[in-house]
Amino acid sequence: MVLDFNTLYTFPGRFERVFDEFFKPQFQEGRRLAYPPLNLSEDEANYYVRSEIPGLPLDAVELTLTDKNLIIKGERPTEQGKYYRQERPAGFFQRVVALNVPVDRDGVRATLADGVLTVVLPKAAASVPRKISIDVG
Amino acid sequence: MTDTTVQKTEEKALPRVSPATDILEREDGYHVFMDIPGVRREDLKIDIHENELVVSGRAEAHGGEKESYLEVQFGPGEYARTVSLSDMVDRERIAAVLKDGVLSIHLPKLEKLAPRRIPIQTA
Repeated sequence: MVLDFNTLYTFPGRFERVFDEFFKPQFQEGRRLAYPPLNLSEDEANYYVRSEIPGLPLDAVELTLTDKNLIIKGERPTEQGKYYRQERPAGFFQRVVALNVPVDRDGVRATLADGVLTVVLPKAAASVPRKISIDVG
Repeated sequence: MTDTTVQKTEEKALPRVSPATDILEREDGYHVFMDIPGVRREDLKIDIHENELVVSGRAEAHGGEKESYLEVQFGPGEYARTVSLSDMVDRERIAAVLKDGVLSIHLPKLEKLAPRRIPIQTA
């Protein structure tokens, strides 16, 4: 066992790292998630896809709706200058959301507010549960 | 004192997140960029305590109550980050902009510290 206790050893930095990891709930159990993080939810009328994409205007995010997938694509730029610390991800990203349900393709809307992308996919009329009236003959 | 602590515990405690931060230097000074998606301008605070710049913000939950979640990879949280300021920073001219979920803070250097040539006079 090697005990690294020389004078160059940075104790404060080490403690900071422990605290940093403690305050990062999005990377639980050391599991790194794909970028950007996605939330998927639904209510009676719509499916919602939300994603944290800070730093991009809506026209810089490419949204493609294919038969089976919703594809979110974009590029986060790097800033010019002499970096002292770089933690923000940069470069191309892409995420594919598989849609195994029929959606109303013409009614899909996307908004981007404060760096959070929201895509609303209305459920197709065929997949909304309907009440069938039974006529008594 | 006890009242405030009671209030804090009653509020639903949000997870604390340290936002991803870039710090870089350009000719006009230092620039700090923080990713704080979901934080509105009114929920963001920037304070200077002596030689520390403290950023704190709160990202609220999105979506309505009726939604049921199939997958959750991010959520509401309290962003908190402290950046120490060097003596070279001109505190009076610090400017901050929040755009598309990114907070950009410009920390200009003091004018008198900018490099300049000293004229030599002939005796």
